[in-house]
Amino acid sequence: MMPATKSTLDYFAWMVILALAALFIYAGAAKLGDPLEFADTIAAFAILPAALVNLLALALPMFELGCGPLLLVPRTRRIGALAVALISVVFFSALLSALLRGLVLDCGCFGSGPPSRPRMWLELGLDAMVFSGALFLYCRLLRRDGNVRPAL
Amino acid sequence: MSWASLIATPHSESPSRANRISRRVALDFGGVFLVALISLAAGLSINRFSARPLPLVYKTPEQRFDAELTSLVTASPLALPPAPTVGLPEFRAAVQEKSALIFDARPAQFFTEGHVPGALNLARDNFAYDYRQLSSILKAANDKPIMVYCSGGVCHDSRLVANALLTLGFTNVSVFTGGWEAWSAAGLPVSRGPVR
Repeated sequence: MMPATKSTLDYFAWMVILALAALFIYAGAAKLGDPLEFADTIAAFAILPAALVNLLALALPMFELGCGPLLLVPRTRRIGALAVALISVVFFSALLSALLRGLVLDCGCFGSGPPSRPRMWLELGLDAMVFSGALFLYCRLLRRDGNVRPAL
Repeated sequence: MSWASLIATPHSESPSRANRISRRVALDFGGVFLVALISLAAGLSINRFSARPLPLVYKTPEQRFDAELTSLVTASPLALPPAPTVGLPEFRAAVQEKSALIFDARPAQFFTEGHVPGALNLARDNFAYDYRQLSSILKAANDKPIMVYCSGGVCHDSRLVANALLTLGFTNVSVFTGGWEAWSAAGLPVSRGPVR
């Protein structure tokens, strides 16, 4: 049997894994410091009822922090990739909805910052990139897992 | 067999590759749901032992400010530090010269029935709302002395409101201890009408 050689796509997948894991660990840690401020940020989107705002403010940083290790551990990588893809869809939808409603706010993605529409567009782009990366990773892992044990 | 091992090990008995992938995707969604539940449990646990825990239901900054304002005037009067006091002559001079902001700490109903001319209603029982309504006047008054009265005698509303204002950063605040009883008993002018 020929030893498996790593392709360019494998290296790219590794870069995506490391970048997403670092991004989500950083984003989760940045939100942990001031949950009240993060709750205010979530409420500013005017999407969720008051009963869910604080629950999300408490759970989301932990979820993001959890995504990092899930992506780094081979056995849980697919779940991590799917979690990142799903949460980036949620972020993208919330930001797009706020932009379409003319709101100017701080997305709270990486801690607090000044409300700014250009920054919101930038973060919308980042969410799209994160989603693309996570989806690429998930599909690749799913396809590989269907054949042999994952190389990634 | 755990869900993690199901994901990691292909099923030899699976009828087709498509079914196998569907099953894996379903399991992955289940895994994400489990991660979300664990995250919520972890977040709630950390919050439980936090120095400043979040309440379960969100309150806007305005609601939180109102709650803080209300807490300022619900302390036991016995626990309050004594606020400076003024007597009738000094209070009367301040009213006539309009040299101080005069606040009536009684409920709006009593204020409507009769109050000191030029007084504004900063009711103890509606402090948060009244304070927000009067915040522009309070800001504009800057260093002007503030005098607070209530019914007089044993009423504590003026002391509670005066101490709340002191806590909020106003420095020149005093209580007219004689209150409405002393003012009306002296036969001094009276204004009537609702809060504007």
